[in-house]
Amino acid sequence: MLEYALIAGLVFGLYFCLVGLGLNLVFGVMRIVNLAHGDFLMLGAFGAFWLFNLVGLNPVGTAFLVFAVFTALGLPLYYLLVPRLQRAKDPEMLSIILFFGLSQVIEALATIVFGPSERSIPGRVFGTGPVHILGQSLPAAWVVSAIASGVAVLFIYVYLYRTRLGYLTRAVMVHREEALATGIDVDRVSAIAFGIGLALAAIAGVFAPFMLGSVNPSMGVDINIQSFAVIVVGSLGNPLGTILGGIVYGISLTFMQTYFSSWANLLPYVLLIFILLVRPSGLLGREVRSA
Amino acid sequence: MPRWLRHTLLTVVPVVAAAGLLPFGYSNQLLLFNFVVFLTLAQGVNVIYGFTGYLPFGYVGFFGAGAYGFSLSVLHLHMAPLAALGVGAAAAILLGLLLTPLLRLSGAYFAIANLAASLAVYQVVSNPNLTEITKGHYGISLSGVFNPTLAYSVAVVILAATLGLTVYLRNSRFGLSLQAIRDDAISAGMAGIDVVRARTLAWLLSALIAGLIGGVFAWYVSVFYPETVFSSEFSIFAIVFALFGGVATVTGPILGVIILYGVYNAIGISTPQYFQLIYGLLIMGLVLFLPSGLVSLFKRWGIDVP
Amino acid sequence: MIRKLTVALFVAFFAVFTGAARAAGAPAEIKIGTLYAASGAFAAISMPVHQGLKLWVDQKNAEGGVFVKPYNKKIPIKLIAYDDQSNTATAATLYNQLITQDKVDILVADSGSPLTSVAVPIAREHKMLLIDQTGTGAAFFSKDNPYIVLMADPVSSIWPKYVADFLTQDGPKLGIKRIAILYATNDFTGTQANAVRGFIKAAKAPVEIVYDQGVPTTTTSYTVIINNIRAANPDAVITLGFPNNDISYLRNLQDSGVKFKWQFNIYPGLETEGLKKTVGVKGLEYIFTYVPSSVIEYKPEFGMSLPQFRDAWHKKYTDDKVEFGFNSVAGYTTGLVLENALKATESMDQLALRKAIFGLSGKLKTIDGTFELDETGAQIGEITPLGQIVPDGKGGLKFVVVYPHEAASGKPVYPAK
Repeated sequence: MLEYALIAGLVFGLYFCLVGLGLNLVFGVMRIVNLAHGDFLMLGAFGAFWLFNLVGLNPVGTAFLVFAVFTALGLPLYYLLVPRLQRAKDPEMLSIILFFGLSQVIEALATIVFGPSERSIPGRVFGTGPVHILGQSLPAAWVVSAIASGVAVLFIYVYLYRTRLGYLTRAVMVHREEALATGIDVDRVSAIAFGIGLALAAIAGVFAPFMLGSVNPSMGVDINIQSFAVIVVGSLGNPLGTILGGIVYGISLTFMQTYFSSWANLLPYVLLIFILLVRPSGLLGREVRSA
Repeated sequence: MPRWLRHTLLTVVPVVAAAGLLPFGYSNQLLLFNFVVFLTLAQGVNVIYGFTGYLPFGYVGFFGAGAYGFSLSVLHLHMAPLAALGVGAAAAILLGLLLTPLLRLSGAYFAIANLAASLAVYQVVSNPNLTEITKGHYGISLSGVFNPTLAYSVAVVILAATLGLTVYLRNSRFGLSLQAIRDDAISAGMAGIDVVRARTLAWLLSALIAGLIGGVFAWYVSVFYPETVFSSEFSIFAIVFALFGGVATVTGPILGVIILYGVYNAIGISTPQYFQLIYGLLIMGLVLFLPSGLVSLFKRWGIDVP
Repeated sequence: MIRKLTVALFVAFFAVFTGAARAAGAPAEIKIGTLYAASGAFAAISMPVHQGLKLWVDQKNAEGGVFVKPYNKKIPIKLIAYDDQSNTATAATLYNQLITQDKVDILVADSGSPLTSVAVPIAREHKMLLIDQTGTGAAFFSKDNPYIVLMADPVSSIWPKYVADFLTQDGPKLGIKRIAILYATNDFTGTQANAVRGFIKAAKAPVEIVYDQGVPTTTTSYTVIINNIRAANPDAVITLGFPNNDISYLRNLQDSGVKFKWQFNIYPGLETEGLKKTVGVKGLEYIFTYVPSSVIEYKPEFGMSLPQFRDAWHKKYTDDKVEFGFNSVAGYTTGLVLENALKATESMDQLALRKAIFGLSGKLKTIDGTFELDETGAQIGEITPLGQIVPDGKGGLKFVVVYPHEAASGKPVYPAK
């Protein structure tokens, strides 16, 4: 049981790394708490559901499509919301309210378009039967999702550390005002990061029917909380820290399910508060801000 | 006329009078009761967010603690409702004390940690292993002490006291020192303000307010599940209402509740199918176009708002 | 501009609240007030029930209304329905709005226990009979409160009786000795888990419970839990959860390659069409479940039969956004009970209505089975038999009723293939 919990937790956690990745990127670059993150994930999931039923598109194909669509969607949304928000006195706090409003709008529209029922995609698209890893059998879809998460992390790494755009993005992350002063087009850099952040959420959504069983328009709230736990544990504002956060979260969850199952849902909250109090910068973070 | 007296006459008196008299002319008392609950909660958010800058995203934790403190002392100790309200308030303050370390965090970190804390309390209260004590997920039924008229009156008293507190904060040295901490904690400390003591006091006061009104809510509603009194929507509504009106004033949160909660109910009754959509758009419009709240408009027009 | 807008909002707000106060004169219509959750956590169970009720209302109105005995004529129904967004505080306000402002003749609760719970004291305070559609929480019903009556589902504490009886009576003969119980921690499934435990203990049969765990209702991943249950080596597994739990569980079960010899879930029977789409036909094969009214055909003595109702549903709700299933039957059943009560009641007084509804107990046979009440107003008649889902040989599925024996249509397949 212990070995199984460990390995299943690792694979499950890798998926949760993908779930939190976009939220962390957006927070890191813009200091915006995107409470609509879970709703973009939900939209990705419904996109996958819809494309699968309409044209039989494989979710892996959908993931690429969704990436392009949501990045493109993120750019205008950024210019519509964020510059105006950042002129206010306390944008970090107000972002919580603004994006709560956005999440309500998205949930309402999704309910009108898709209806309130639980939806899913048949598990057989990733082959039937389990995959064996280190002597343990795991659902094939879990492994596919974990690989997708790995690819996304690799993509973020290349984007942030191997491109000029990424160099500028990191400059904005470190100090927005200074970046502005040195002539960086902060809005353009941020808008792209915002789009990528939303796209990552949507990709996580594409795999949600397989990892979470089913999806519905009001699933976003739960996803947000879990994502927060993941990125706070890893390191708030440091996208690559999300990997560690996801794995710690996944393994702790499977251990709780094995040994104290009815308390399992307490875990993300306790983990989150504990890390914030003991090490506010996260497990991987540099020493930053503590009031 | 001293400023505090003018503020009291302009805000506390009309609101409390309206809350006290309206039930005689309007029969949906529950709607009025919910108005009183949100007027109180919005002022509670005002105390901690408006005056000290901490956004209590898990404010409902205190509300729920109050509701459960009240209910469990009625169920297990057979206390009279008013005494049980004291237990509810004590439960909220205890939770507040437990969470004081969170005040070391700032900005979004505090907001997220506070949200997590309220959800953790909910998970503990509703946990099946504690069913003997908390009734777990089976929920609470208090039909023995059910008395909506008395509960409503007590809620109005709590509202009056809460409004009195914000008038005090708006017009006292203590309120000013809290705002000084919010704007620049280090300078405030150098100016001789005991930063930790002041903000802890504000935090506990705001916990007390939510605990009391949570206890009355449990009393009034009398049959509920843990998810009812720990619903994040209480926190979010209270915060949105307070922000909409404008924090760090007495009038702002009052206006916010009357207008926004009024609109919320009006949409809910007239056009339920687009309820959530309109409400979401309204909230977004508020942040984008009126980030400092309605009262900032009055200030712009040169009117001094209480 | 903003000043004008503020004034306009105030005006609109007061207009809505004062406009609703109208006196009840000669009834040009019978006002039925209800709530539904178009969004939020309860939308998936609330909408089918609401649409089932609406279907009945529209059908009656197309026939010129429903017959009301005190007036000795057909009167059209006006359905006043608000959206509570799955928010209990909003629901409370809206229930009160229905009673005090709209002055409805009949108050129908939203579905699901949490959204029903807040209506219980409100209805009682205003001496309105609460027509409880599917709020099965046992705490709602007490002898001192005459103002509630449950329509469609059986109360949670007796629902799993046949499941437990099968395991204790027939189980040992088949070789079932070790039982695992996994439940989601909420009122609905927690009460059922309690009931199963109680029934098994009381039977004193040679079976033991080897695994008994609650998991949070928001659980979405069961792979590790399934592995843990397997480690306990049970002969039979009873899994009690909401639709999202059942979907995740059955998918994880299928994906992880584990096969239990005897597996029970609630929703493969209750929301069969939804689960076929989400879990897949393969994942439902040989699962034991409740065989509800939406699957077996009771011979209804009143109202549409199941195929008729299904056709009417699909004809009316062509967009397919809300799944047809057990919950839609529940909403329709509420309508049928009300129709019969209005036909029999002496007056429109709430307690007279209650008397009329109790008069139907044990006599009314609808699409949902026999409607039967205990003295507190809890519904105990429409108990669902235990069935097993098996392949029909044509790539589809069919139900075999296995318990109680007098209703059985076949033998259980044990161990499951």
